[in-house]
Amino acid sequence: MKVIEVNNLVKQYNGAKSPSVDGVSFSVEQGEFFAFLGPNGAGKTTTISILTTTLSKTSGEVTIAGLDVAKDARRVREHIGIISQKPSLDKSLTAEENIRFHAALYGLYGYRPSFKLMPKAYKEQVTQLAEIVGISDALFKPIKKQSGGMQRKLEIIRSLIHTPEVLFLDEPTQGLDAVSRRMLWDYINTVRKTYGTTIFLTTHYIDEAENVDKVCLINHGKIAFNGSPEEMKRQIAFDPTPRVCLPSLEDAYIEFLQLDKTTMEVA
Amino acid sequence: MEMTRRPSRFFREVSTIWAIICREISVAFKSPSTLAMSLVMPIVMMGMVGGNLTQNMAGGLGFDFGLFMLIGMMVNMLFMATSQGVATLVDDHEDNFSEEMLIAPVSRYSIVVGKILGSMFSAVVTMLGTLIVGAFMGITLSVPQFLAILALSPLICLSAGALAMLFIGLIKNRKAANIAVMLITMPQMFLSGAIIPITSSSGILMVISRILPMTYSLDLVRSVIYAGTAEYSSIVMFNPAVSVAATVAITVVFLLAGTFFYARSEKNR
Repeated sequence: MKVIEVNNLVKQYNGAKSPSVDGVSFSVEQGEFFAFLGPNGAGKTTTISILTTTLSKTSGEVTIAGLDVAKDARRVREHIGIISQKPSLDKSLTAEENIRFHAALYGLYGYRPSFKLMPKAYKEQVTQLAEIVGISDALFKPIKKQSGGMQRKLEIIRSLIHTPEVLFLDEPTQGLDAVSRRMLWDYINTVRKTYGTTIFLTTHYIDEAENVDKVCLINHGKIAFNGSPEEMKRQIAFDPTPRVCLPSLEDAYIEFLQLDKTTMEVA
Repeated sequence: MEMTRRPSRFFREVSTIWAIICREISVAFKSPSTLAMSLVMPIVMMGMVGGNLTQNMAGGLGFDFGLFMLIGMMVNMLFMATSQGVATLVDDHEDNFSEEMLIAPVSRYSIVVGKILGSMFSAVVTMLGTLIVGAFMGITLSVPQFLAILALSPLICLSAGALAMLFIGLIKNRKAANIAVMLITMPQMFLSGAIIPITSSSGILMVISRILPMTYSLDLVRSVIYAGTAEYSSIVMFNPAVSVAATVAITVVFLLAGTFFYARSEKNR
């Protein structure tokens, strides 16, 4: 069953001379781990913003869980969660206050003025999630006093607390150290396996997409490749040195972009 | 992590409004300088502007100008502080925190109403500051009179916030928002009868005063405070029912339009 369907999506920003997203089509199956890759300015964040209902499209059709993102935006938002490229935290609040606010927005728990007054289930859930991503010590400290990595981890907890059916990860590990990255992916894989959460990932760390179910490569607002990582690797004329190693997804990614650039220059 | 149940839409909307109110109050407490400014503002407005007007303009009016001005300043402070609070939506946009609210499955109206009612906390603190400064100047209200103003505060703040949303919804940077707040609040202070009686206004000034929402909020408050007094007819301009109807109508229209502009400007880029 397709949980995300995008048909001929076009987005041209006000005042822009050309579209940032130009006739993009792809689909994502329920429970799939989907990587949406591309260089800076390719149209990844624009596409995610349209899928998450925070940006209007110019034309095309986009549905999430069978709901039109333009006509039924509020219901679409019930099905999704996002970790965006730019942190969306209230820096004047503590980490826990940010989570409490999020839980109240999603109607999971009524907002109470302090953590101690919150229901037992909320306290257990937050404590458990904080331990998993390693921010227990920072849970009650103001966000502005925390590192970028800690803020990222907090966003992860926050986005997962309402157990979305589709989780959009827009460069989620940007600014995280290697240990935190590993910890995050272990956790996201656990969530995916346990709840069948569909993951829509954009990243510049191509190795993070090695184990995805499907790769969609966008360049200059158009889809350059759509298929499995293995298919992507098979289509390249890679000549590894030394010859004992196999091409990685990153090798295939770079070659596809170079090929796409050459094609565009010829055109 | 447990799979969470899907809550009802009504609960989610109410929960959102309450959470945003609590957030605004929490942020106010965490910013002592903002709270301090809320108390300094009445010293400037009530103590200096009001004091000067009382000393130089009070003669020959036929009513106690001090009380007239105190009520005007209290309502003006509610309008001013609420407008400033609503303007922090621009800060939320600049800090990307607005995305957290806009991506949640809640109505934009709940977000805006929560923001306005949350701003009411700082507005009431500012209003209390005005009352204290007034007391130092020898102008006082009785407890029932104060409670009556307090009871009308939510309606006044909603009206102020709705007016501010008309402008703030279209603005995306802090500097422009500050200018907008000044443009919203200053003309109202002088043209809606907060500190200068407008019962004799005519021409374009009369027309403007009838468009400004604070005119009706002020008149409503004064109709309650001056009820049964000999000064009522020389101070109160409209039947209280007219003031309530005008305030509610202006609030609803501005709130709908302002929220529509806000949602559209966030999405249509």
